[in-house]
Amino acid sequence: MRPLSVRDLRIYGLEARTELLKVMRLPAYALPTIGFPAVFYVLFAVALGGRPQDGAKIATYMLATYGAFGVIGASLFGFGVSLAVERAQGWLLLKRSMPAPTGAWIVGKTAVSLVFSAAIVAVLVVLGVLFGHVRMPLGTWVRLSAVLVAGALPFSAFGLALGYLCGPNSAPAVVNLIYLPMAFLSGLWVPIEMLPTFMKNLAVCLPAYHFAQLALQVVGAGRGGPAWSHVLALAGFTLFSVALALGAFRRDEGATFG
Amino acid sequence: MKARILEGTLAAAGIALMAVGISAHFRALAAPTSRATWGSEATPTAAAPRPTTFAIVDARVFDGTAVLERATVLVESGVIKAVGPGISVPKEVPVVNGYGKTLLPGLIDAHTHAFQDALERALVFGVTTEVDMFTDARFAADRRAEQKRGLVTSRADLVSAGTLATAPGGHGTEYGIPIPTLTRPDEAQAFVDARVAEGSDFIKIIYDDAASYGLKLPTLTRETMTAVVAAAHQRGKLAVVHVSTGRAAREALAAGADGLAHIVADVPADDELVALARQHGAFVIPTLTVIASATGDTSGARAVAADPSLAIYVGSSERRSLDVAFPTPLKGTGGMLRARALVGALKAAGVPILAGTDAPNPGTAHGLSLHEELELLVGAGLSPIEALAAATSIPARTFGLSDRGRIAPGMRADLLMVDGDPTRAIAATRRIAAIWKGGVAVERKPAPPEAAALPVNTNGLVSDFETGTASEFGFGWQISTDAMMGGSSEASMRLVQGGAQNSRGSLEVTGSIKPGSMYPWAGPMFFPGRQPMTPANLSRFTSLAFWTKGDGGTYRVLAFASRLGRIPAEQRFVAGPKWREVVMPLSGFGNGMDGSDLQSLLFSASAGQATFRLQIDDVRFR
Repeated sequence: MRPLSVRDLRIYGLEARTELLKVMRLPAYALPTIGFPAVFYVLFAVALGGRPQDGAKIATYMLATYGAFGVIGASLFGFGVSLAVERAQGWLLLKRSMPAPTGAWIVGKTAVSLVFSAAIVAVLVVLGVLFGHVRMPLGTWVRLSAVLVAGALPFSAFGLALGYLCGPNSAPAVVNLIYLPMAFLSGLWVPIEMLPTFMKNLAVCLPAYHFAQLALQVVGAGRGGPAWSHVLALAGFTLFSVALALGAFRRDEGATFG
Repeated sequence: MKARILEGTLAAAGIALMAVGISAHFRALAAPTSRATWGSEATPTAAAPRPTTFAIVDARVFDGTAVLERATVLVESGVIKAVGPGISVPKEVPVVNGYGKTLLPGLIDAHTHAFQDALERALVFGVTTEVDMFTDARFAADRRAEQKRGLVTSRADLVSAGTLATAPGGHGTEYGIPIPTLTRPDEAQAFVDARVAEGSDFIKIIYDDAASYGLKLPTLTRETMTAVVAAAHQRGKLAVVHVSTGRAAREALAAGADGLAHIVADVPADDELVALARQHGAFVIPTLTVIASATGDTSGARAVAADPSLAIYVGSSERRSLDVAFPTPLKGTGGMLRARALVGALKAAGVPILAGTDAPNPGTAHGLSLHEELELLVGAGLSPIEALAAATSIPARTFGLSDRGRIAPGMRADLLMVDGDPTRAIAATRRIAAIWKGGVAVERKPAPPEAAALPVNTNGLVSDFETGTASEFGFGWQISTDAMMGGSSEASMRLVQGGAQNSRGSLEVTGSIKPGSMYPWAGPMFFPGRQPMTPANLSRFTSLAFWTKGDGGTYRVLAFASRLGRIPAEQRFVAGPKWREVVMPLSGFGNGMDGSDLQSLLFSASAGQATFRLQIDDVRFR
């Protein structure tokens, strides 16, 4: 691989911008990705929050969990589904034939994931402050947002793997089949404390759980496990996803080029 | 091939890292950390210790004697560490913002009678210590033992005289608790020694024949009263004397009483007792709230219960005593005026005034009434600061409670924070923002709403017992006896042939009243509501009428109503040899009874009827 040059960076930037534009012009993608977690948050955290003094605590807790939920969704769909679809359309093949660095499209998609994650977090924050009566010091807000947005990366990697493994028709179903149960079992919908013990133990094996715990620890509602254990689990998950993606890519290449 | 190896390595590395992270997480959870997390299962062995280290900043502080307009109070482990305007608060100590609020020492009610849930209720209204002037000695001993074991955060602390000193049949013996009494001066030391052995913190003496209430009760002679005072001093205990006339007050003070448990209402403000009190260094607990109620003035009690800041905490425990009136009020007029004038004169003479309510006598309630007492004291001539001292530092000092009553380093953090400035407008004590006992925040729960009495669709007929023992409305008839309170009386009822006015049937009740319970009763009970004891609104009717015939004994109709709490009101009747109609006006049950909240009517034999038999028929409301 040759070293990065300024031209490369410009291309990455351009790729990112155009990818973003494309996605934003697809309200069928953009709105559910942002709206789904927002609606869930309003339903569970704000409306069912209970007494005002408990409500703020619940709203803060769920800000972390639904933030994680939204970010994971944005990453898995943004990478997984769109990649599978574009593969089938032959779009990737076209891009690879262009005089652009091969990794440009990955950078573009990653940028989209990050931007959408940030948008989801922003919408939830506004809902939390306005309707959930969430009050936190500024530093906590910043740290929470940073953790949530950073969580886009491991799940983008996983989305990348899924995008190569699945065909265009099966991709949405597969992604949903993994995303939704994982979210529930990791305590992203109903707080993990309310799930039975065997589910709590099962959750520890899920990456979404570790992501949510990191976010919860920022607001002081974690289950008490050390932060590095979560980071390690997520890092391991990322590596594993990358390995999976490489393998899937190779298989895909084989199928395309024989 | 190389690619395969790369992927394989990455996958393996990824799985390894995940495994490490997951197992580390499990290990961390298995060993519970002391860090508390929300709704977590971090297993605490005992209840997580609530933080008793905190600071209240920018509050006005009344420290028991003086006012600091703006100060910080630092509490460490439930004890006040520092008080002052310039206290620096360590960074990790949680801070409570007291701006616009006033911090007072937890209030002390210097004259109460504590039993059942009195101490728990008192705490809800900011009273952290009650000085009890007569209660069951075992109840007091249990509470004291509990306090000795450690901080009790669910209720006010108890300081108690235990059993009071009175003559046989005198005031104090009418409550159904059998108590030891004394008659002669030479019995005084033994009596006091027995009280001290029971754990009494001070000695309470009754020196009152209740003539001012129109009664004539036996009471201790002057010599005996004097002997008990001396005996109390012999054992190093304060002697507090209950009086209700100026003359008795003077005699008690001359005998060396350390304090009077009430102000009197029958002598003018320049009476000699003021000088006597000053001379002997005695204190006075006016208990203006109960004196107001005894003169028939319930406006203060109603006002404090309706106060918007307190109303949601007023429940059945308060209503039980607040809504009741004195059966025999203080005789004469102008009593309250004289009482107030005397308080003013005593205060001007420098006699220590202590705030006490005599709860839960009629027209008073634990905790709640102390706020009314503070207002009455201010009306009698005390400044708000003097009234606040009368409910904090002065009773603490008087009764030797060296760890409370003031906000100062070393004092226990019994604190009351109120909105506004009670040092200028005493009624601000009602606007309670927070209460701490020993540094532990007190959770105040609003009183549950009471069941509303529903009006009943009826023409008034309860039962004519023609075809059965059922009633025309309500839940019906049921036998009730004192067996539920540990007694052994019994009764049974059945339909018999022949009733009043030549009707076909009537209800026959037979049974026996056995001694052994405090309140013996046995007989049929009628519930007008849907469920037993659910109140029904029968205010449409003015009287209860029924026909009766029996063995000539004197029976009672006991009426239970929401306003009365658990104690019924009664009217008596005689069941003679011939059928006779008895008409009892509902108002005859007293206490403002009008049938609007009637829970049940119990037709009971009286104590002493070893066996009884009566018939009742055609029970109706008119």
